[in-house]
Amino acid sequence: MTAALEVLHASKSFPGVKALDDVSLTLQPGSIHALLGENGAGKSTLIKIVTGLHRPDAGEVRLNGQAVGFANPRQAVAAGIGAVHQERNLVTRFSIGENIMLERLGAHALSPIDYGQIHAEAAKWLALLDLYIDPRRPVSSLSVAQMQLVEIGKALALQTRVLLLDEPTASLTPNESQVLFGILRRLRDDGVAIVFVSHKLEEVFDLCDTVTVLRDGRNACSGVPLKDLDRQAVVKMMIGRDERIAKRAPRPRAETAPYLELKNVATSAGHRDISFSVRPGEIIGLYGLVGAGRSELAKAILGQIRRTGGEIRVAGKPAAIASPADALHKYGIGYVSEDRKQEGLILLHSVLGNAGITVWRRLSNALGFLRDRTIIDHTAPVLRQLEVKTPSVYQTIGNLSGGNQQKVSVAKWIAAGVKLLIIDEPTVGIDIKTKAYLHDLIHDLAEQGTAILLITSDMPEMVDVADHILVMSGFAIKGEVENDRNYERVSQAIMGFIHDNASTGAAA
Amino acid sequence: MNDSKLTRAFDNDWIGPALVSLVAIAAISALQPSFLSSFNILVLLSAIAVNMLIALGQLVIIAVGQMNLALGSIGGLVAISFAAMMEIWHLPPLVAMGGGLAIGVIAGMASGFVIARTGISAFIITLAGLQIFKGINLGITEAQPFYGVPQSVKDFGNVALAGPIPWLVLPMVAAAVFMWVLFNRLRIGRYILAIGGNRNAAELSGINLDTTVIWAHALSGLLAAGAGMMLVARLQIGHPAIGEDWLISSFAAPVIGGAILSGGHVSVVGTFFGVVIIAIITQALVLFAIDPFVVQIVLGALILWAVGINRLREMRVARAKA
Repeated sequence: MTAALEVLHASKSFPGVKALDDVSLTLQPGSIHALLGENGAGKSTLIKIVTGLHRPDAGEVRLNGQAVGFANPRQAVAAGIGAVHQERNLVTRFSIGENIMLERLGAHALSPIDYGQIHAEAAKWLALLDLYIDPRRPVSSLSVAQMQLVEIGKALALQTRVLLLDEPTASLTPNESQVLFGILRRLRDDGVAIVFVSHKLEEVFDLCDTVTVLRDGRNACSGVPLKDLDRQAVVKMMIGRDERIAKRAPRPRAETAPYLELKNVATSAGHRDISFSVRPGEIIGLYGLVGAGRSELAKAILGQIRRTGGEIRVAGKPAAIASPADALHKYGIGYVSEDRKQEGLILLHSVLGNAGITVWRRLSNALGFLRDRTIIDHTAPVLRQLEVKTPSVYQTIGNLSGGNQQKVSVAKWIAAGVKLLIIDEPTVGIDIKTKAYLHDLIHDLAEQGTAILLITSDMPEMVDVADHILVMSGFAIKGEVENDRNYERVSQAIMGFIHDNASTGAAA
Repeated sequence: MNDSKLTRAFDNDWIGPALVSLVAIAAISALQPSFLSSFNILVLLSAIAVNMLIALGQLVIIAVGQMNLALGSIGGLVAISFAAMMEIWHLPPLVAMGGGLAIGVIAGMASGFVIARTGISAFIITLAGLQIFKGINLGITEAQPFYGVPQSVKDFGNVALAGPIPWLVLPMVAAAVFMWVLFNRLRIGRYILAIGGNRNAAELSGINLDTTVIWAHALSGLLAAGAGMMLVARLQIGHPAIGEDWLISSFAAPVIGGAILSGGHVSVVGTFFGVVIIAIITQALVLFAIDPFVVQIVLGALILWAVGINRLREMRVARAKA
């Protein structure tokens, strides 16, 4: 049987990093293929090569045995390769039908659009996905899960024979995921080759036929039947060693008075009845799936999202935090964003410009004068302590590796001397070594008395780092788990709270 | 590593425009020796002085990642108010100047306040501002110039300080030095660049967006006011059309000088050479009696060249991000 798609010995380098090194991937028609690897292992680069966003430096892509070289994503789409990315790519104000048929609204740019025909055609694809909704409805009226199906429908409508799904279940409830899997199995039986990228190994074993694992930009395995593997073996390939057994002893909960306290907080983003507290020296973990409302909660604490009810207390006193500037300068609260590039750093500016941004206000004199020397004196010790690797503090930060960038985005808060640090997904896209380093750093900060709220959807990270875990789903806290570092017990307890939520249909 | 090359390119925003200026001066004076005559240099420096303030007024808004379409209309309003205060109320020039600067700051702050509080794009707000300030201008002047400009003001705009150097160079030097200090040594300047570089990151790092944006627009208004009054001195009348032709060159000079239009990176020295290049081209075409429309075409081509170079750099930064 000819492979539907083959990537042969592909390599790809970016300035300062070799993202892919001699990687191969073979997809058979009528099978679901798992693509696994830790963040930064090269999965997204490989997907971008297959979908025509990147060209490999070496190696080739073959479609049905023919070598192809996509110059842009349109050519990949035309060749029958469809991708549904982690983030939604729909024009939400347009109708479902228009979105599905967006590439073919008319024969040429000036053709009048036949909406009747477009919606009739779209309805066919929706029916194939068991999605019986009016294609005239705007996409904005759909749930996240439905939008995902519409994107799959859009891909299929373009005669897709190779379908790539990047973390399709990240924002779905378990029930919605099962519906999606049913549809994927049917597509597989119709002969579509499917690539399934996920961090959730349970799903991979449930759904997929074969697996390719990437580690540090290389193949840890390529196209192995999953029935020959067990979870331990897959994890070992992903991280290069046996699954980590918690190495830190559980820490007793601090006895001190809470630094941050939330009481029945409700927000305009939709949170309701959120209550918890963080004490100095304590690491409180906030676990939840994408879309559970965790980052939004952080932004509500920072005053960016309006609080509509309840009370926030800082150091025992009621706090009215109006803006992140308030949070930092009046209450000593810092936030390491999950989105380093969009919200964390100014990539165009120097390491110094980024590390010092939180202390400018403190270090300038009465006339507002700032000297580089003063800022360096305050930030250099922290940058050294965190072992940030940069030729000089004047280096443009966009040129540093992701790990070093992340260190700087933590360093600026340490330099500011915050009392409470909210850390949102600290190790996304970070190599394993820096990841372990950041975990140690968070731990050390807590030991030195900083109160820490750790947001992560990385289960091993949560079990490894947090003292006490809150489980969030649907913008509410569903439960608390005392972390005794017993991975099996803790992860099952956490998933229990999340599944519980799904089965009672509480998700808004 | 290509890091150092990129850094160097950023550090040296002004080298390219400076070289272009020098080559242009050399070439033109070779063909037309009168280009370096004392009188011509005086005229050239006067134009550069005024245009530098105009360019700096736009530069501070570019730095914060916005654009100010009302720059010329604020400058025009200040120009006629300045002349009117002296002609109608017989205020001494220095007092009228203080009033003019205040009007500029207030007009800028008003734009900045509306932009910061509503979150509507600066393009729209300053477009509305352009119309409003122009309307006030025409309401006051009824489209007639004010002629009663005192001799001391006229002298300031037309007499040489020393040799071929006009008095007008003084406010230019003051403004340029101040702006350089602002972007390199003052907290508010760093805030402006941080917001232009990444608004979200700046806000989450504890920078007050509203205050900083209002500051930037107030400064822009102040510089526009300065330029408007310098033009009154130079033209010797308070003409209601002052400011109408500022827009293109206010963007062209900073961009030629290496400013990134999306914000976060500007060069005061580069902007100066941008202003110089535009002034030389304009002058040369007059000297060679070339049709004025060619000036427009050459200026347009220069902008394309400058943004092309900018784009190249952005792509290098983007690649570094990937």
